[in-house]
Amino acid sequence: MSNDRAQSKLFPTTIWLVLVALTIATFSLGEAGLSGKGVMLTLLAITMIKSQLVANYFMALRKTKFLWRAIMFGYFIIVGGLIAMAYLMGLK
Amino acid sequence: MNPNLVNIHLVNSNSTHHKEDLPGDFAIWIFIFAEMLAFGVLFVAYAFTRANNVELFNASQLTLSRTSGAINTLVLITSSYFVVQGVAAIKRGLNKQCAHWLTGAFLLGGVFVGIKIVEFHAKFAADITMSTNNFYMFYLSLTFFHFMHVLMGMIILACIIVKARRSAYSAQDYVGVETGASFWHMVDFLWIILFPLVYIIR
Repeated sequence: MSNDRAQSKLFPTTIWLVLVALTIATFSLGEAGLSGKGVMLTLLAITMIKSQLVANYFMALRKTKFLWRAIMFGYFIIVGGLIAMAYLMGLK
Repeated sequence: MNPNLVNIHLVNSNSTHHKEDLPGDFAIWIFIFAEMLAFGVLFVAYAFTRANNVELFNASQLTLSRTSGAINTLVLITSSYFVVQGVAAIKRGLNKQCAHWLTGAFLLGGVFVGIKIVEFHAKFAADITMSTNNFYMFYLSLTFFHFMHVLMGMIILACIIVKARRSAYSAQDYVGVETGASFWHMVDFLWIILFPLVYIIR
């Protein structure tokens, strides 16, 4: 097997392991019963990283035009930003 | 112009065009973006409704099984990884290997469905319905809407598996596999947002 082939097989596995680790981190924060602005922002940051890893490396958008990656990133920024805004409104 | 130069130009422009294209059939991406928009509106509606009912949402959220939600997240992430391997296999022209990876993804989809049915059953057994309160209205509608997408994704995967077993794809013709894969990844993408929003953030 060539190095390129080995690397191309290893890379998705690495992404998968990162996604698993981030999911366990999310679950652990929930199990710890933590809440508050900092925890909410941490959870949204983890979710943003996970969603972009899936979009860029599993959906293979990293090989496409910038426009498509921008749509997926913009989607999360708008939806995640509004979720954060609503959460902060609920703190008052 | 030299015909060879024309050919080289065409080959280069085709490969460049292919590289920048979305994977799979473009029509599925119209569908994917439309579905993402629909889910996005529901996610934001959930968040703003919660802002006016924080105590109710936090108390109701405690009745959900975070463990089931987390296991289902791992199940979908792993099934997406299997789909990535299936696409990689068909790009090398390996139909049987592609079918094996996609069968793994399909079975994990079945695990997700099974866990969700247990969750739904527990809620209905406790007389919890969409009219119980605003939290359950969003929880049941969001997760059921997503559940239907998982079922649709499994049907698509099953069709691709059958074709791959018949060696209907090749290293040059795998658009169908990429189309189904893109839909399945969208199902994963949306659950990645849904899980922390509904099960964890409080």
